[in-house]
Amino acid sequence: MKLSKGSCCNGLLVSGLVCLVAAGTPLSAAVSCELNYPASDIQRLFPESTSFKKVYFSFSNRGGPALLQKVEARLGGLPALYAPLDVPYVAYEIFKGTKKIGYVHGVNQKGQFGVLEVFVSLDLEGRIKAFYLQRIAGQWAKKFTTPNFGKQFVGLTLKEFEKYNLISGKGAGKVSAIANPAPEAATDFFGLLRAVNKNLVLMDEFFYSVDKANP
Amino acid sequence: MISKFQIAYKNLLRKKTRTLLTLVGIVLSSWVLVSLLGFNRGYESALNRDIDNMGYQIMVMAKGCPYEAATMMLQGGAGLRYIEASTVDGIVNRAEVEAATPILMQAFFDPNKGDGGGIAGYFGVDLATFPAMKPFLKFKKGGWPQGEKAAEAAEAVMGYEAAELEQREVGDLILVPEKNVELKVVGILERTGTQDDGTIFVPLKTLQRISGLDKITTIGIKVKKDANIEKLEAALYQLPDMQVVSFSQVKQTIMKLIATARVMVLSIAVIALLIAMVGVVNTILMSVLERKHEIGILKTMGAMPGDIFRLVWTETLILCTTGGVAGIGLAFLFARLSDVLVRRVLPYAPGGELVAIDLRLALLTLLIIVAVGLLSGIYPAWKAGRVRPLDSIRSEA
Repeated sequence: MKLSKGSCCNGLLVSGLVCLVAAGTPLSAAVSCELNYPASDIQRLFPESTSFKKVYFSFSNRGGPALLQKVEARLGGLPALYAPLDVPYVAYEIFKGTKKIGYVHGVNQKGQFGVLEVFVSLDLEGRIKAFYLQRIAGQWAKKFTTPNFGKQFVGLTLKEFEKYNLISGKGAGKVSAIANPAPEAATDFFGLLRAVNKNLVLMDEFFYSVDKANP
Repeated sequence: MISKFQIAYKNLLRKKTRTLLTLVGIVLSSWVLVSLLGFNRGYESALNRDIDNMGYQIMVMAKGCPYEAATMMLQGGAGLRYIEASTVDGIVNRAEVEAATPILMQAFFDPNKGDGGGIAGYFGVDLATFPAMKPFLKFKKGGWPQGEKAAEAAEAVMGYEAAELEQREVGDLILVPEKNVELKVVGILERTGTQDDGTIFVPLKTLQRISGLDKITTIGIKVKKDANIEKLEAALYQLPDMQVVSFSQVKQTIMKLIATARVMVLSIAVIALLIAMVGVVNTILMSVLERKHEIGILKTMGAMPGDIFRLVWTETLILCTTGGVAGIGLAFLFARLSDVLVRRVLPYAPGGELVAIDLRLALLTLLIIVAVGLLSGIYPAWKAGRVRPLDSIRSEA
């Protein structure tokens, strides 16, 4: 069908407007790691949940540079790539009825070909209930998103990670037993372990330590 | 000796509440007026800046081709149509054209992006022409691919947001999904506040090789400053199976949309100004009527109608000048707040300052307020000047 010049022009102008809108709207910054589809993702990560609440937290409103330094020290000086102090992080508080039953939290971690977006669901004791890799780039990506790989993290706590050196890759305990499904992707494998560790450390500092202090 | 200004000032202070309310009306109307005039100017210059920042004023693409990243993302890369790269040569030789750059936009499906997968968009750009067309692009780190084989290098330049989102630094690798081709990041751009922030730029030939085609999707055209854009557009419309998007057309359309809204808001501002001026007339007239006896005495003491006229007019002048200055001051003070509010209301707001108020505009507004105020003050002043001394003294008695 041949368009008349008028209708074509109108279409173009509308497209142009769309284009200008796009041009004038910068993409949202990678401020923190959020679930793409929170409603369905949380149902999958926490099947017994009935609702959830998004909670924002940042270093600037909870301890500032001192807390940031403390967290970085706990991470052993690993490449953490933190956003500025005032950047908000997001955690999802999970409820069954009115009772809080756990958390879902994700972090960004530098991977070999792009960012790794790593989520874990945690019970109120800080034990991993599920592992979810929302984003990873690489030919080996599928190997890391299989349920079998994720299952290896279930039941782990921060204490398990403390027994393992995430820089040298040496140590004992359950973390050392996690098998790398893609030996050619050591950067991403260790990136994932560091991401889970970072995830647990942040949750410990911002939630579990607070919960313990105010039972 | 007491001056006319001092007498007028003291007269206004006699009824403080009435004077204050009149003043508030003038303040508000001047605030609205100067903000609107500032918006009128700021919006257009911001829009011009946005269009200039795109580097080219006209884009040519195959008919039906979704040509920008936003559309490309929505369409998932499907439906892209291509044009021959040689089309650029025919366009660049035209007298009106300063430069033309071929662009290939490609979207690849990344199954590992989220649960259902996602689209990754790439811009294939000609290193010989594209950077020159966008000289305002500054690098946070690194630069465009260099060297003899730069045009075919497996290298990429990332927009600020794209790099931040993927946590990439210069020297890192990225992987083109679907094709599994590794690209080395050689440059990261500074934030521009435009679509470029989320874009990954790759040398045109590299992206053509990755995509397995030798065509392009778009031609960006920079027109010479004194060239006839309409003539060029008309000529480009004649190209078979091509569509032309001119940002001057887009700008005109946006400005027309904005103009409609502006006329409505300006009408409201004018009405607000008129209401404020009716308030001025009311205040001064009331003041004149209340002082009829006093004016009569002044006249018996030798004051001429002109003196009384000037005295009353001075009161109007003081009211309008004070209100105007205060309103303009508030407009200056809250310009950024107005900016934020306007941005929320408008469907499309370009980057930068939307409400641009400067000293010249402030003086112009003050002049309007004072002129309209003085016009409004003519009747009460004239009425005061015509007061008959004996009548006024007798009526008071």
